[in-house]
Amino acid sequence: MKTILKILNKIGTVLKNIFLSIWNFILKLWKHPKGKIGIIVISLLAICAIFAPLIAPYDPYDVTQRAAKGLAPSWEHLLGTTITTGQDIFSMLIYGTRVSLVIGLVTGISIAFVGAIMGILAGYIGGVVDNIIMRVVDILLVIPTLPLIIVLTNIFGKTYLMIIVIFVALGWTGLARVIRSLVLVLKNANYVKASELAGASRWHIMIKHILPGVSHLLIMSTALSCAGIMVAEAGLSFLGLGDPTAISWGKMLAEAQSGGALLFGHWWWIMAPGIGIFLAVFSFMRIGLALEEMFNPRMKQSNNMYKIFKHLNNTYLNEVFNSMNNEELLGIQVPLTEQTNLKGEN
Amino acid sequence: MKKSFIIKRIFYAIFVFIVVMTLNFFIPRLGVDDPAERYYPPQGNLSEIEYEIIKQATREQYGFDVSTFQQYLNYVEKLLNFDLGTSFRSGSPRVSDLIAERLPWTLVLSVTNLIISLFLGITIGAIAAWRRGRWQDTLLLNASTFTTALPAFFIALILTFYLGFELELFPAYTNPNMISQFDWSWDAIMVVASNAALPIISMSIGGIISYGQGTRNSVIAVTNEDFILTARAKGLSPNTVLYKHTLRNAMLPIVTSLGMSISGLIGGAVIIEQIFNWNGMGTLFLEANSSNDYPLMMGIMLFMSSFAIVANLVTELCYSLLDPRITVGERR
Repeated sequence: MKTILKILNKIGTVLKNIFLSIWNFILKLWKHPKGKIGIIVISLLAICAIFAPLIAPYDPYDVTQRAAKGLAPSWEHLLGTTITTGQDIFSMLIYGTRVSLVIGLVTGISIAFVGAIMGILAGYIGGVVDNIIMRVVDILLVIPTLPLIIVLTNIFGKTYLMIIVIFVALGWTGLARVIRSLVLVLKNANYVKASELAGASRWHIMIKHILPGVSHLLIMSTALSCAGIMVAEAGLSFLGLGDPTAISWGKMLAEAQSGGALLFGHWWWIMAPGIGIFLAVFSFMRIGLALEEMFNPRMKQSNNMYKIFKHLNNTYLNEVFNSMNNEELLGIQVPLTEQTNLKGEN
Repeated sequence: MKKSFIIKRIFYAIFVFIVVMTLNFFIPRLGVDDPAERYYPPQGNLSEIEYEIIKQATREQYGFDVSTFQQYLNYVEKLLNFDLGTSFRSGSPRVSDLIAERLPWTLVLSVTNLIISLFLGITIGAIAAWRRGRWQDTLLLNASTFTTALPAFFIALILTFYLGFELELFPAYTNPNMISQFDWSWDAIMVVASNAALPIISMSIGGIISYGQGTRNSVIAVTNEDFILTARAKGLSPNTVLYKHTLRNAMLPIVTSLGMSISGLIGGAVIIEQIFNWNGMGTLFLEANSSNDYPLMMGIMLFMSSFAIVANLVTELCYSLLDPRITVGERR
């Protein structure tokens, strides 16, 4: 009985510590001017996603409303209805939050996991492991990402689980590179050397000494890759390659385009999902930037978003993943073969 | 630059190419059970035997009657002769012909976009850096926070709506006859220009801003160096210092990011091409994907990847030529 209580107590303290650290983290973010906007918008979006059935006034999947096709925004239909099927656009918008947030968060966090493991293994163990991992990274970075994703979704099915797996499988490369180059620096730090001399095992050093050293980078890049993945998912859905059964913002845009929103001047049908994507991506990026400034105060004055999200708009996902190589942010000199980034900084 | 370094990089590029080629052969095959079945769906009044004969003939025609490994060897052999195979489309056109037909149209978009974003971006960035802290700088900073969060396809839709439908400045959708009727006459060129305007604008907004930000930060980094102070102390005019001393040195990072943009020139615009119905490589790939035309898919992917490999190689070599301070080729 006593042992059970002891274990429960221990679990309790661990949980308490985790919650406290998360809470402190959010408080810190809240105090940061950039983080505040991000937190407000994301919590609103999260509320929309969780309570979608309560908030949405109509059933967004209801395509039988033939009388209510192509209505303009009014108090009954806040954002009007679609021209083709008469679905309520506001309800679709609310339900679309779910897809974006879930895919963005799950993929972003999984990419952080895989990227951290791969980067730390490559950087710390080195040798053959490093060679294999970096060769894989080089190859994945050469293959055009969007076509590859299209082929893979076609083969493995268009469910969201599969899409997340594919995004993670292709998206860890950039992060792994950054982590690796940071680990290469940490490896020579005195406390790691001391731990090695004291006879600590490789795993102990990797988990206890190296991982905390790269954790700030991990948290920051998670926020940023969430944003990148949201854009990517919207693009995929826009091409009609997302899950055909769910409503997502990208699919809404595609429907608006093919359903004649442009032709009939129904600008609200285009603006609604577009602004949804913008808000979600913008707030995650703000949080990423705030974290970056919190962990790396040297970078405060310059706006470094371009480094991390270089060309996000025009050259798409490939660039999203490439541009996560923000070695420069950390002030690490990386050999040219690794360097894919702009060098300038204040 | 050491000779051994060049040779090493070239061999590494060849290694990457071989792996990509192999992946490229096997990945599309994961999803296809029997290509002949897909190519000839059972239909009409064909009897079972006739159908089997047709299927067998199709398999033989496209080289599917041998084992997968043998098919791979055939594929490699064909590639060594620069033959990408034949498409499943009617009339079985060669994949290389299809690519050659579409490639210029993608390049029209992406090269113009790159040139515009490069020149405007560098100009804007230089101005912002020169007027650091003034309204020009703040404007660029604020613009970049917004454009990076807006997907290009959303910008494209808004532009189509306002410039294409409301103001009717540009055609909102590409004229499908544009490509077939193109004959280098002035009129045809003007038609292409007016059709390409919207896609190029929507692609280049993000590019201009990101190159602008890049140039700004890199110029500011150079401005803080001692030799700029020396140049100013010598009494050189501000313009000479800007063009001869600052910009020249600030260009190095831009070259790196230019290399990245170049490697994405072919495959970068799938969604934009789809929105404007622009018949380029991106739409060709989507067509191939929707009709399971995987010789064509393999051909396009291989072409894009080899372009990226060559572009990366050239960038690496160029960079080490441009900046001899950097020691290259050593992995830590």
